[in-house]
Amino acid sequence: MSGPIPPGAADPRPADAGADADVGAAADARPQPDGPAPPTRFERLFDAFTARSWLIRQAAVVRIGIALAWGGFLLREWPNRRELYGDRSPWSAELAGRLIGETHAFTVLTWSDTRLWFELVYHLGLLAAVLLALGWRTRATGVLFAVTAVSLQNRNVLVGDGGDNVVHLMALYLVLVRCGRYWSLDARRARRRPPRGPVGEPRAVLDALATMVHNCGMAVIAVQVVLIYSTAGWYKVQGTRWQDGTALHYPLHLDYFTPWPALSGLLGSSLLLTVLLSYGTVILQVGFPFTLANRRLKNALLALMMAEHLAIAVVLGLPFFSLAMIAADAVFLPTAALLWTERRLAAGLAARTAARRGSGRTDAPAAERGSEERQPASG
Amino acid sequence: MRVWSTPALLVICLSGAGLLGGTGLFLGALFLHVAPANAVSRQYQRELDAVVYPEFEQNWKLFAPNPLQQNLTVDARVQTIDGDSRVTTRDWVGLTAEDVAAIRGNPAPSHLDQNMLRRALDFYRTTHPEQDGAPVGTRGRLAEEYLERIALQRFGRTVGGERVVQIQFRFGSAAIAPPSWSPEQTDTAVQYQELPWWPVEEADYRGLG
Repeated sequence: MSGPIPPGAADPRPADAGADADVGAAADARPQPDGPAPPTRFERLFDAFTARSWLIRQAAVVRIGIALAWGGFLLREWPNRRELYGDRSPWSAELAGRLIGETHAFTVLTWSDTRLWFELVYHLGLLAAVLLALGWRTRATGVLFAVTAVSLQNRNVLVGDGGDNVVHLMALYLVLVRCGRYWSLDARRARRRPPRGPVGEPRAVLDALATMVHNCGMAVIAVQVVLIYSTAGWYKVQGTRWQDGTALHYPLHLDYFTPWPALSGLLGSSLLLTVLLSYGTVILQVGFPFTLANRRLKNALLALMMAEHLAIAVVLGLPFFSLAMIAADAVFLPTAALLWTERRLAAGLAARTAARRGSGRTDAPAAERGSEERQPASG
Repeated sequence: MRVWSTPALLVICLSGAGLLGGTGLFLGALFLHVAPANAVSRQYQRELDAVVYPEFEQNWKLFAPNPLQQNLTVDARVQTIDGDSRVTTRDWVGLTAEDVAAIRGNPAPSHLDQNMLRRALDFYRTTHPEQDGAPVGTRGRLAEEYLERIALQRFGRTVGGERVVQIQFRFGSAAIAPPSWSPEQTDTAVQYQELPWWPVEEADYRGLG
């Protein structure tokens, strides 16, 4: 754990990089002005890759979002679970077995055909989703979440849609990353534990390995989201309906995606709005990856994409798809906004705690809690 | 920065290089998979498929290149037999219409209503590209059995008190009318494709409850 740094101490990192990253145990001593020679460029890169966990709060948001999307889905489908993935499914265990024999997809559900085993896996999946959202023993819970989610989906791949695909991929990627360092029960427990002393080298090496795996995992998540939008956008560019600006009209009149026909009709009734939204969607999806070079533009487009997914959730009747997409998009949320949210939440919590204790001193503890939360969690 | 011993540095550098290389290869494979077929992806088709399938599938051509412009429907009817071996052909039942009715006004439609039949039809059509309805590969048979079992689950074993012995499907396709402000003219009448009668046996009901 890095000690408190006096303001103005020579810190080679850009001011906002520290906010993006969690400094692991391997970065014990930072160069001081009167210390040894300043680190070379390679040493700084080495440090950035092996000692800092990048996008650590974004990882927490992705975790919470994906867990809520899949957990909400499992709850919603609870009455239909046996028809979708279980013993009553038209996609019988025998049919599934024949397909899986070809694809070699992973599922624990083919280990046994009994109802009991299916119910166990489904409810373990539900439990894993709740615990993952809360961040309880996050790494182990994440593995259970991935195994159960992938098992259920692969038992019947023919009932899934884009949302299931996103959850499937993110569940696997989340296993690799430190998504429980913030906004989790794990983080709360770590804060309450006495600070850890200096760590020995074997432990430090393991920490560095875990940090590297985390950083690679976050890169995979980020690139995956870019690939989703690029694919969706660039193939649309080639479509005549997207070119003539009427594309939006058609999904709004597909019976399977119009829970509210009057609303869909209203949205598609205006020429200008239809063309604007059709062109806007393509520009957004194609352009987003390129705006990553510009923080402000990226944030503006990110907000637009999330808004569009909220609209899709309602208008096309795809709430779980949209939630999963928003959760995946969250990997690009600005750290400043997450820190602001974190302080607001912490202040709100502290105020409520203080109010319950009948104490009037709400402001000071709130501020303290806020700054305390920004300390990296250990473990 | 921490000062590492040589063995520790070796472990970190080797695994770091492996991780970076593996991540690069994985992401490169995903990119080549979603990109249009090109010289490289054709050359390494087998390797790319090994990375992407079955767990890292990428289906992101969302409403692309063009959104679906027809409402596709599945209807089914059955023949039943009574005690005197007299066969009755029953009326068509709109299976898709049942799905749509369940979706209307529902803020969170079930995959059972929104995806099961819709994707089963899609699976059937991709595995039966020929007009005569001949299945392609082993998946063609899977698609037929799946579609039949979806319908049988809804009909049950008996209709009007008589045992179901045969089932027939017809697929409807109705073009969506272009926007009111578009000069295009489109025939929106439903076009039907009828499949032959399929025999129904007790085994087809296994597990359907």
